[in-house]
Amino acid sequence: MNPIIWLIPVLPLLSFVLLLLFGRRVKEASAVVGSLLTLGSLILSVVVFMGQWGGASVKQTVEWLAIGDTVLTVGYEINPLNALMLVIVSFVSFLIQVYSKGYMHDDDRFPVFFAYLGLFTFAMLGLVISPNLLQLYIFWELVGVGSFLLIGYYFYKSEAREAAKKAFIMTRIGDVGLFIGMILLFWQVGSFELDAIFDAVTTGDISQGWITLTAILIFVGAIGKSGQFPLHTWLPDAMEGPTPVSALIHAATMVAAGVYLVAAMFPLFEASEAALTTVAVVGGFTAIFAATIGLAQADIKRVLAYSTVSQLGYMMLALGSSGYVAGIFHLTTHAFFKALLFLAAGSVIHAVHTQNIHEMGGLWKKMKWTAPLFLIGAMAISGVPLLSGFFSKDEILAATYADGRFGLFWIAVIATFLTAFYMFRLFFLVFTGESQGKVKKVQESPGVMVFPMVVLGILAVIAGYINTPVAPILDDYLAQNSYLEIHHHESYWWIPIVATVVSLFGIFMAWLVYAKKKVKRLSEASPDFHFILLNKYFIDETYDYSFVKGTRGFSYFWYYIDRFVVEGVIQLVTGAVGWISKISSKAHNGQVQLYGSVAFAGMAVLLLIVAWLGGYLT
Amino acid sequence: MTLEKLLSYDWGIMAPEFTILIVATLLSLMDLFIPNKASRKPLALLGIAGVIIAIVFAVMQVGTEPTSILFDTYRFDSFALAFKLLFLVATGLILLLALDYEGGREWEFRGEFFYLLLTALLGAMMMASSADLITLFVGLELLSISSYILAGIRKNNLHSNEAAFKYVVNGGIATAITLFGMSYIYGLTGSTNLYEISEALTNPAVEQNAFLLVMAFVMLLVGLAFKIAAAPFHMWAPDVYQGSATPVTAFLSVVSKSAGFALILKMFLITFLSVQGWHNSIILELQPYIAVIAGVTMVIGNVVALRQRNIKRMFAYSSIAHAGYVLVPFVSLSLLVFKMTWFYLLAYLLMNIGAFAVIQFVTEKERSEDFTAFSGLYKRAPWVAVMMAVFILSLAGLPFTAGFIGKFGIFMSSLGTGHFVLASVMMATTVISYVYYFNVLVQIFFRKGEVDRLRPSVGLLIVMIICAVGTIFFGIYPGAAYDFFQGFDMNELFIK
Repeated sequence: MNPIIWLIPVLPLLSFVLLLLFGRRVKEASAVVGSLLTLGSLILSVVVFMGQWGGASVKQTVEWLAIGDTVLTVGYEINPLNALMLVIVSFVSFLIQVYSKGYMHDDDRFPVFFAYLGLFTFAMLGLVISPNLLQLYIFWELVGVGSFLLIGYYFYKSEAREAAKKAFIMTRIGDVGLFIGMILLFWQVGSFELDAIFDAVTTGDISQGWITLTAILIFVGAIGKSGQFPLHTWLPDAMEGPTPVSALIHAATMVAAGVYLVAAMFPLFEASEAALTTVAVVGGFTAIFAATIGLAQADIKRVLAYSTVSQLGYMMLALGSSGYVAGIFHLTTHAFFKALLFLAAGSVIHAVHTQNIHEMGGLWKKMKWTAPLFLIGAMAISGVPLLSGFFSKDEILAATYADGRFGLFWIAVIATFLTAFYMFRLFFLVFTGESQGKVKKVQESPGVMVFPMVVLGILAVIAGYINTPVAPILDDYLAQNSYLEIHHHESYWWIPIVATVVSLFGIFMAWLVYAKKKVKRLSEASPDFHFILLNKYFIDETYDYSFVKGTRGFSYFWYYIDRFVVEGVIQLVTGAVGWISKISSKAHNGQVQLYGSVAFAGMAVLLLIVAWLGGYLT
Repeated sequence: MTLEKLLSYDWGIMAPEFTILIVATLLSLMDLFIPNKASRKPLALLGIAGVIIAIVFAVMQVGTEPTSILFDTYRFDSFALAFKLLFLVATGLILLLALDYEGGREWEFRGEFFYLLLTALLGAMMMASSADLITLFVGLELLSISSYILAGIRKNNLHSNEAAFKYVVNGGIATAITLFGMSYIYGLTGSTNLYEISEALTNPAVEQNAFLLVMAFVMLLVGLAFKIAAAPFHMWAPDVYQGSATPVTAFLSVVSKSAGFALILKMFLITFLSVQGWHNSIILELQPYIAVIAGVTMVIGNVVALRQRNIKRMFAYSSIAHAGYVLVPFVSLSLLVFKMTWFYLLAYLLMNIGAFAVIQFVTEKERSEDFTAFSGLYKRAPWVAVMMAVFILSLAGLPFTAGFIGKFGIFMSSLGTGHFVLASVMMATTVISYVYYFNVLVQIFFRKGEVDRLRPSVGLLIVMIICAVGTIFFGIYPGAAYDFFQGFDMNELFIK
């Protein structure tokens, strides 16, 4: 056993245990304990990651349990994919803990918060290094528990309690799919080990039908965890948790676990065209669906939440289009710029004490660090050239196009436009114009909060260069997996241009619509601009009626679909359960005669069926 | 029977039973002579000591060859021993619970409680060890009648009276149906010995009357379904569990239920497994009936639990649901049926008794059985709250707990034998169960309640710690229990 590897998840676990036991005594120092132990994980992860360049996969297992003839094992496995994930998870977790020291400063349950973060980080790292599905599933659940505790952290708010419960139960519905898929795979292959499953897929020991079925069931698990349609409704609600939690769990790591799962099981998915198509269609649809909803939200964190759902949809779309590297690439860059956006949003909330974007405005000059950093994040996610999001989104578009999914390709292009539009709507409303807020004395956040944002800001700019068309480093790195065939599709020169034009157009539109007040004010001050103003106003109105109203209508359309159809179906199911519950609990009315009658009736029915069928059933 | 013959039996195999019998007799005598106003706590301690001695005897018996005495009516084998150990451990823990039960004025007759608990235990042990319909029935009735009195032992409490009354009436119905089923079997085979019945049933003359046999099977199934509170024969359980004193509820939901399972496995597998039906073993042909009962039980238990506000009633439905889960391995009938059932019952024992210890603690302190009595427990008694979380997560079947391993094993064996529908029902109802289990967790962790600190008494704390440690230990290292169980050769059950 290599201590460098197993210490990676154990250090955050240690942080959890220590803070649970002694947190009350060390108080503020909990942040230091948590951060340092996570930093330890980060350093070890980087060492492991370095070792994966040109190195072989490492796998170590010990026997855990023998049921009959089958032996179940536990252990760890390191391959290029999960080494990268280890670095992302421990890195983001470390930065978030540093940030939280400032953000959670005046919270009286400070140590508990860091203990939960330790538990979550442990579970997430354990999930990533699992060599078999069973162990992965166990950590998968534990991650859910961590998320439950952290969403419900502000438990005195009833919304937070409800959101925590909703998140847990909704993702569990997806987990049922994963669980069944995993067990079916076990019965087909005779093992939970990932490589044994891939071997069976390669040699054809498992039939095509089973591959498709199990792959789709496993994908159902990913749908729940990664907030894909139709199990996405928990994610926006999960924003009730503290903002650093949203950044860590609901942007960078846990929600990416679904994408990771599909990537880790990719040889299985690759063997079934139907499964890939399912992944691509669900991903593509989610990408545009969530983006339209993002247009109409007023809560800064909810906009970011829908944006996360939409971006995760992109990743799924990439994986479904055989763009293995593109999906992982976007997962990586997204982890940085979305965490940055959340932290910046947290910094804004910290300063103005509201989450409503219509009560913000004019923060550009007051928040010298946060504002430019938010702008970097917004530019990165919108796909402004030379920033990280540009390269990874381009990869996804290219992969989709190369795979011949033209419909999904254009959907993704439109979603790119929407992404740029809603992100800059957010930016203009929050940082430009007049201050609409009640808090007059806005202060920049302390250095301990700014530092992680600066680090993430730098990465949001440069992370894209790990896989440019000129130097496909990530391609080569991930291609070291023996079970994978990495498709090198040709590059299309026109795709980056289309993507750039579309996203710049989105930014421009957002500027026209949401920065227009500035123009208006200017016009009132100087009559010389009156003519221009009139024209501008006219254009604005045109845009307003054609484009903005149209999009808004479209957005509301999906919002209501989401609200009434999707939630309606869910309501129907829960309603049916509730109805059965009500009827049957009424039957337990305390009358012993009734109890006896039900029992006799039950027996009579059984006997009648026996008599009717002559006891012959099969 | 001559005295020589009587003395020639290997009575050593009944050492645990004799221990319990002697202690129960001693307790009842002592109870007579202890002054009315004096505390009955020493009786409980004596009872616990007796149970521990019996456990020691039982552990010493591990590895003994199967033996039968009293004209093959009473039998020692690994199957019996494995279940007896479960009953003994559970009863020991429940005695500890009862030691600190405060039930108020109505609890003044607790002397009876302790020895009735032991006679009930004795009945359960007899059920596990009998090889004859008559001794089986005697064991069953010993357990049942003791339980009726236990349910009504708080005789000034209206709920308790109601519980006892309903339990007697429903139990009577169950007994009648069981006996009726047994009479068919006797009529067909002319024997009451399970092994002789098994042989006689393969006789072609009996096979021609297979229809009657199927009737007998259904009748027995219904009668025993009462004992384990499987739907639609479960309706007594919520009222009885709610009305009884908490230690009694714990006993009914764990020991009484496990004994029911032991009896079902034993009776059906010995007598019916080798009997040919039309195409197949008769038990395989009747599987769909048991599957339907299991499915309905899971649905009813979990769905109705959603609406309960009384914590004991909620756990009554939860316990009904668990009976459904435990029936699943019996339906799928893989080679692992004993292992899966036994392990699940072990996990269930730990998590359920643990949960009832916490329930007893909270409901007594708060004088309320509403589930809001748990609000803010995390602030008031953090360690108790954490242990309750362990029990609830285990009942819900989350990883790192014994409950997860148990459910996982059951689920594996049901999918492995192709029972997809049943497995899906189990998964779906498990998800439903999260809702009510998590409601309790939300109360404990996310609600504000009273602020004063609560401290559990030593006895309760011991029970909670044993159960919590066991739940987590078997969740992380279930191999320990599996290896231990490996020492029991279940095939002994089928060797005459």
